[in-house]
Amino acid sequence: MTESPPSQATESITPAPEAGQGLYGWISTSDHKTIGRIWLRVSVLLLLFVVVVGVLLSFERTDAGSVDLFGGDNSYFQMWSMYRLGLVLLVAMPLFVGLATIVVPMQVGSTNIAFPRLALASAWGYVIGAAITVISVLSRGGWGALDGVTSGEADAIALTLIGTGMVLVSIVLGAICVATTVVALRTSGMSLMRVPLFAWSMLVASAVWILTLPIALANVAIIYVDLRGGPLLFGNPEGSTEIYAQLAWLVEQPQIYAVAIPVLGVLGSVVPVVAGVRHSSHNAMVVLISLAGLFAIGGWSQPYFYDNTEFVVFVAFGLLATVPVIAIIGGSAATILAGKSASGLPPVHLMGALGAAVLLFFGTIGGAMRAVEPFGLAGTTVHTGVLNLVALSAVTAAIAGFWFWAPKIGGHLLPAGMGRLVMIDLIGGAFLLGMADVIAGFADAPDLMLSDSNDSLVDLMVIVSVVGAVIVALGVLGTFGSLVKAMRPGGPAPGDDPWDGHTLEWATSSPPPAGNFVETLAKVTSEAPLLDAASARDEGEES
Amino acid sequence: MSVVTTGLPAASTQRPRTVLVGTLFASGAALMTYFGLLAIYLFERADARSIGEEWFPEGVVELGPSGFVFWTLILSAFTVQWAVQAIQANDRTNAYVALALTGLFGAAIFNQLWFILNDTGFALAATRGQFLFSVMNGAFIIFLLIAVIFLALTTLRALLGQYGPNQSGGVVAAAMFWNSVAFMYWVTWIAIYINK
Repeated sequence: MTESPPSQATESITPAPEAGQGLYGWISTSDHKTIGRIWLRVSVLLLLFVVVVGVLLSFERTDAGSVDLFGGDNSYFQMWSMYRLGLVLLVAMPLFVGLATIVVPMQVGSTNIAFPRLALASAWGYVIGAAITVISVLSRGGWGALDGVTSGEADAIALTLIGTGMVLVSIVLGAICVATTVVALRTSGMSLMRVPLFAWSMLVASAVWILTLPIALANVAIIYVDLRGGPLLFGNPEGSTEIYAQLAWLVEQPQIYAVAIPVLGVLGSVVPVVAGVRHSSHNAMVVLISLAGLFAIGGWSQPYFYDNTEFVVFVAFGLLATVPVIAIIGGSAATILAGKSASGLPPVHLMGALGAAVLLFFGTIGGAMRAVEPFGLAGTTVHTGVLNLVALSAVTAAIAGFWFWAPKIGGHLLPAGMGRLVMIDLIGGAFLLGMADVIAGFADAPDLMLSDSNDSLVDLMVIVSVVGAVIVALGVLGTFGSLVKAMRPGGPAPGDDPWDGHTLEWATSSPPPAGNFVETLAKVTSEAPLLDAASARDEGEES
Repeated sequence: MSVVTTGLPAASTQRPRTVLVGTLFASGAALMTYFGLLAIYLFERADARSIGEEWFPEGVVELGPSGFVFWTLILSAFTVQWAVQAIQANDRTNAYVALALTGLFGAAIFNQLWFILNDTGFALAATRGQFLFSVMNGAFIIFLLIAVIFLALTTLRALLGQYGPNQSGGVVAAAMFWNSVAFMYWVTWIAIYINK
């Protein structure tokens, strides 16, 4: 970490120079926009990979007896755990770290992210860690196996643990940079209550990740040392599901909600802009997002620390997690109703943000039902259903963020027509995929399904989940195509503020210059400084 | 755009310094990692006790050497705060002496931990207790190494004249991380050495 001069906060960090050209530019830049794009490009590629794995897993489940896409039970388990941990650790969290690395400094009026060299190191740590993880899983590694392994596979499993550890460290370091930017580099007049909701949600999410992911890192470290020095703690960890079991809390409630905290921030940033008015209750949103973060702290719920004595806490977290989500959706609806009525189709970012929030709502409802013992849903496909609803809600919100902040990310507007198709695919597909597993869970379908079911409802839900997985994959392909197309030179200039935005990222050019702001920013007096400026301008013209 | 920007200088802000805030978050992450390991240690020990398994061989893990580590860390916590006070009072001589003493204590702690690991003669593959004892000490050595490097960089910067009464954030941050690492061992001392 580097020390900053102790003068005014807005001047206390060195503006990023223009990034160099080519590979040297990518590995030496201190510009937060270039660093964020490293996170985004790699996480979108990994999203494609993880979604393809998800489709294959769905097909495998349609007829477990005859379909053998993965060549054996061990491979099926490795891909099953790859999908779950990959969707969260390799895709959803990095998507938001990347988006925040680009957008948050501009939202808070800073010239750069805090500790840009640390942010760059974390981005490359993620790239290398993710590459090690994926390659080792494809080499028959992963987070354990169902039925014994060879020595080569044991080495690949150890490599997967190294990759997982690198990704965890990188996400934590990236989160430290984002959180420090929000706390220490806000521009003049921007109190914490005036921080834009996406930046606030990233501060809350980063705090939760900083406090909980190190516990997963401790697990990974101790499993790795046990593998190499023992094994003493886990018996035969490579040849069992024990490694995955120690990390499963990362993809289950309440911890899974931590990945979706920024969904609420994207919604809170998009809705007032589309409605053309201030948020009906900005301060309440700040408190509700903080509550969502509180109920997403789940390090205590891993197998080592969690037993029946904490059952009340588990149920309470499961039920309370629904409250901020419902309240924020309600507040957003009130803002839309209070706003200017617009004709025509809704913009892509509004569709995505609202759809993601609805997915998150169903995810928290599914999680609440899972937490209540009389339903008896523990160990059923409800786990996967909640994971799909919540993690794909995060992915959908991040992609909605791409469409919203595209002028600031890459200096382009993304195509609206394709965007609407993408959002319909992602939201519809994720809903089918997630709800099918939730419903199958009520029919006692086991979470790790490797045998044919005799229940017609479960069979139907397996088919529905295949349809959902394919639709989600089409949405991800559409996103990928739109991003590739937008990266080509020669597209129309997006304008500095195509949406009549309210927050400071829209007060600079598209794409933003090095250092983000050419002129000194005026003192911020509310959570919507550009609306304040427009009001002042209107009053000046009238007088 | 021109409406929200102005030629007038921005009003001054009194934000906490980035390195202090960043170190606060990093210290939180380091503490959670270490205490995550400690929690696993305590749960495994409770499990071993519940089935009558011997955790440590009798008389091998002694309180004396770890007590030296504990008290050296107490002393280093005082000297690192002495460095903070001195740099804030612009007393550079005292600041250099305090930083050097803290570094010296750090080196002494490495020596003491090395002695403990050799003295016990524990092997990773022997028993759960020996395995986790080695893991806890290894993890602490890693965090102590990070703290010593942070302190060394801070000392170097102080020697280059970077810190002063109005610019003590780096020294405060180094002291904060140092004290976090010291806190790790204080808890460890009670949980592992006092309550064997």
